[in-house]
Amino acid sequence: MGKKAYIIGSGCISPQNSTDPNYFFETVNGPDTDHFNAVEPSYKEHINPNMLRRMGRAIKMGASAARMAVTEAGVENVDAIISGTGLGCFEDSEKFLLAIINNDEQFLTPTSFIQSTHNTVGSQVALIMQCKQYNYTYVHRGFSFDSCVMDALMSIEEGKKNILIGGIEEHTPIYIELYRKAKKLNADNSHKYYEGKTKGMQMGEGSAFFVVSDEKKNAVSAIEGIGVAYKPESTEEFTEKLNSFLKSKNTDLGKTDLVLFGISGDKDHDKYLLETLPLASKNSATGYFKHLCGDHHTAGSFAMWLANKIIEKQRIPDAVKINAVPKEKINSVLIINGYIGINYSFTLLTKC
Amino acid sequence: MDALIEKLKGQIIEQLNLAEVKPADINPDAPLFGDGLGLDSIDALELIVLLEKHYGIKIQNPADGKKIFESVRTMAQFIKDQGKS
Repeated sequence: MGKKAYIIGSGCISPQNSTDPNYFFETVNGPDTDHFNAVEPSYKEHINPNMLRRMGRAIKMGASAARMAVTEAGVENVDAIISGTGLGCFEDSEKFLLAIINNDEQFLTPTSFIQSTHNTVGSQVALIMQCKQYNYTYVHRGFSFDSCVMDALMSIEEGKKNILIGGIEEHTPIYIELYRKAKKLNADNSHKYYEGKTKGMQMGEGSAFFVVSDEKKNAVSAIEGIGVAYKPESTEEFTEKLNSFLKSKNTDLGKTDLVLFGISGDKDHDKYLLETLPLASKNSATGYFKHLCGDHHTAGSFAMWLANKIIEKQRIPDAVKINAVPKEKINSVLIINGYIGINYSFTLLTKC
Repeated sequence: MDALIEKLKGQIIEQLNLAEVKPADINPDAPLFGDGLGLDSIDALELIVLLEKHYGIKIQNPADGKKIFESVRTMAQFIKDQGKS
């Protein structure tokens, strides 16, 4: 893969006020004890109310973020819509399954069933845009958004011009409660995630979409490439995969201006990231992001939106910073993400 | 009959999640599909379930659907004719 994907438009709904185009982490919303709730916009501004009435939150968040990205990009339509989600439209899945139980398998209505499939967001975006091009949804757990990025890079390589990519995740009270009962959530807010002192994640939700193009146009940044590591068995294996990716992009950890870590606050799952942090902090500015978006399968999409914003503003918000290595210019950002100690990804963005 | 129409309006709003619509906005004689409320085929399925769930009525002949679901009034009349109001 040689071609870059230029980010010409983005939209993000997250637990922060990310729908405000002027927002840059002047204020930060914390978790509701052990989870983050997305700050949802007025959806009527983005979606036809007649379509809105059937949509669950994941679809509303995804379709709105996609609309924001397309509007910012100023494109009429796209050559592909590629979505990624770990859980899909969970709220509608719950609704349909609960109706089966509560009504003794009677009186089942079609709406929540139709809307419950993982690819609903991508298809609703296509319906809104009247886009009949390639439409694909990756449901690859912690690699769901990363797979979108890979597909987009390959599609650009094959000649596609403008591609809409995005990650979507929603949680529900039942889902949170199940995680709580399984002791997978962390309600201790007295430590920074990167201190490696807590166990369990703080679950999050949200959606970030991007229009990526084969041409620079008005792009702020470009996706140089993405690499993944699945269940690395040792720090050595993880480091080897990271270095191998960086080498393929003719760079190394020390040459990257900013490294953003997807540290989740669960010290067991963060092991490799916490071990890489001091190495990155020697020469690069370092930051983290899951204390802003919460942990979920497609948190990498929030990280990409954040990295693009940092490159645009040429400033690292205090809320993101880990170390104090000063950088006059931020020309490259490496996102090192991890999900529950299984899925790791490395994404390199550079300034245009 | 008027009380049944009003009750039905509320049930339609709830079943179809017509958050922007109030019962007073629904003309009982206006078409449910196409013009009027602008409902579609998925809504038709929802209305069939509504009749079964709230009134215990199963539509035996699908061809009757077009007439039954013409308006809120025709739905109410059908419920009344079935002795379920």
